[in-house]
Amino acid sequence: MKNRILTGFAVVVMTAMLAGCGKVPQAQVDEANAAIAAAQTAQADVYVPADFAALQDSMRAVNAYIEGQKSKLFKKYGPAKENLTKVVALAKTVQESAVARKEEVKKEVETLIESLKGVIEENTKLFPRAPRGKEGAAVLEQMKTEMETVSAASAEAQNLYVEGKYMDALNKLKAAKETADKINNDLKEAIKKVGGRI
Amino acid sequence: MKQGRVVVKLIGRVAIILSVTALLGIAAVIFVPDSPEEEIREAMAALSEASSSNAPLYSRRLFREAKAAYDSAMAAWRRENRRFIYFRDYTGVIAFAKEAAEKGRLAATSSVSGSRNLRERIGSQIKETKKTDSQIERFFGRYPLREELRTRLAKGRLMLREAEVAFKKNQLLAANRKITDAEYLLAEVLKSAMEELKSYFGAYPMWKKWAETSIAESAKNNSALILVDKIARKCYLYNNGRIKYEFDAELGKNWVGDKRRMGDKATPEGKYVITRKYQGKETQYHKSLAINYPNSEDVERFKSDIARGIIPKGTKIGNGIEIHGGGGRGADWTDGCVALSDKDMDILFPLVKTGTPVTIVGSLRKIEDIISAENE
Repeated sequence: MKNRILTGFAVVVMTAMLAGCGKVPQAQVDEANAAIAAAQTAQADVYVPADFAALQDSMRAVNAYIEGQKSKLFKKYGPAKENLTKVVALAKTVQESAVARKEEVKKEVETLIESLKGVIEENTKLFPRAPRGKEGAAVLEQMKTEMETVSAASAEAQNLYVEGKYMDALNKLKAAKETADKINNDLKEAIKKVGGRI
Repeated sequence: MKQGRVVVKLIGRVAIILSVTALLGIAAVIFVPDSPEEEIREAMAALSEASSSNAPLYSRRLFREAKAAYDSAMAAWRRENRRFIYFRDYTGVIAFAKEAAEKGRLAATSSVSGSRNLRERIGSQIKETKKTDSQIERFFGRYPLREELRTRLAKGRLMLREAEVAFKKNQLLAANRKITDAEYLLAEVLKSAMEELKSYFGAYPMWKKWAETSIAESAKNNSALILVDKIARKCYLYNNGRIKYEFDAELGKNWVGDKRRMGDKATPEGKYVITRKYQGKETQYHKSLAINYPNSEDVERFKSDIARGIIPKGTKIGNGIEIHGGGGRGADWTDGCVALSDKDMDILFPLVKTGTPVTIVGSLRKIEDIISAENE
């Protein structure tokens, strides 16, 4: 009887040794993947690309570690669990940073849209007061055409804003604002030269 | 005694079982295939390096291939791990991982050099496009460009600015797209405007002839001559074939080309004479010298234009072209007249009389001379 018990014990030990003693922390893996997907949905790849790439690197490392353990006879998933917890926390931080950065850009776009609108309105009022061409009628005509292009760019930027493409809108608005500001300065100078009041 | 034998027998059996277990354990460890962790780690490092070198942007194809090879390695690894431990074969995993590492490293290197080259190229494209823009400004700043060209010029300038904004932020791909469009638009504007200017200068031999004969007549008759150079925006007073005075002139809004009809706001080109002098309340522009536009050649061409349908029937040829004061605005603002400052009109007015020749030409200089002077 004792012999049988001992033999059975040895078999159990061997089976346990061969089968390994760990289980893949699948729930945590899924949680980490979901957190990364959420960060991507928050456009972390657009607004905080470096942080998002680091996050992906971390997840890649955890996945490789888990597969590494699966390849072994004696499996140990403890470190993977710890790292997965870190990945989830990092994903949340990255997501928050993306949301904050997006909000920042959105605000910047809104400010630019408003200030560009102001300059366009001011320039529209200044045009009739400008002498017939600061350096010639052709120059004034060109300025008017450039203002029309600025207005079109402003409308395009507003569409991009509505579509949530804040980064694209930002570049367009900055360029349009620079052009509008330059025309504004030129017009004011021209009016001042002929004794007009600004 | 019997009990002792049983214990010895039992110890022996346990020893055998433990030895077998140990041997099996050792065998199990020895015969387990090596996991491809090292190769995967290298592939991961290469991908990470490629990613931080912006390879997804600047070495897109290689990065995509590296990532695909890495994903294949992981998939193969997972597949092998599902098999019984002693039947696993990681050769395929290792091959994919090595491919991923190699392509990842290549992507990183090519991204670094690619983005550096792209940055340099965009930088010089911005510089060149700015040069084109300043050439347009120099040659055509006061040139009444067609509306289509003005629109393209405005769009090109805005795109140039957008390219600069993106370039400053190191958004090279966006900058690249914008500068390519800006470069094309501005180059097209410069080319088209130059072609128009060259076509305008097709009349240069005639202008030259008019100017030379007028100056020769002035010398021969010891008389005054007013000669207007539209491109230079100059009005010269000649006497006895020699320049006595040089005045700045302002022209009609659409000064390029000859006047063809009423309301085209063009300044006529040709040989005319002063028909009448006005001053005081007789003119709203301080002092003025009316000329005989349209002369017989203008009338002949106008009739031919009507007959050929270039000008619609019922259009009038126009009149009332003068050299008058009220200028000095730095603008081409008249309806086709030549405007001088009141001060210059005061000088010119007493030195000419009814019948004094007035020759108006597009330019006294060849286009090549003007371009090379501007480029200098």
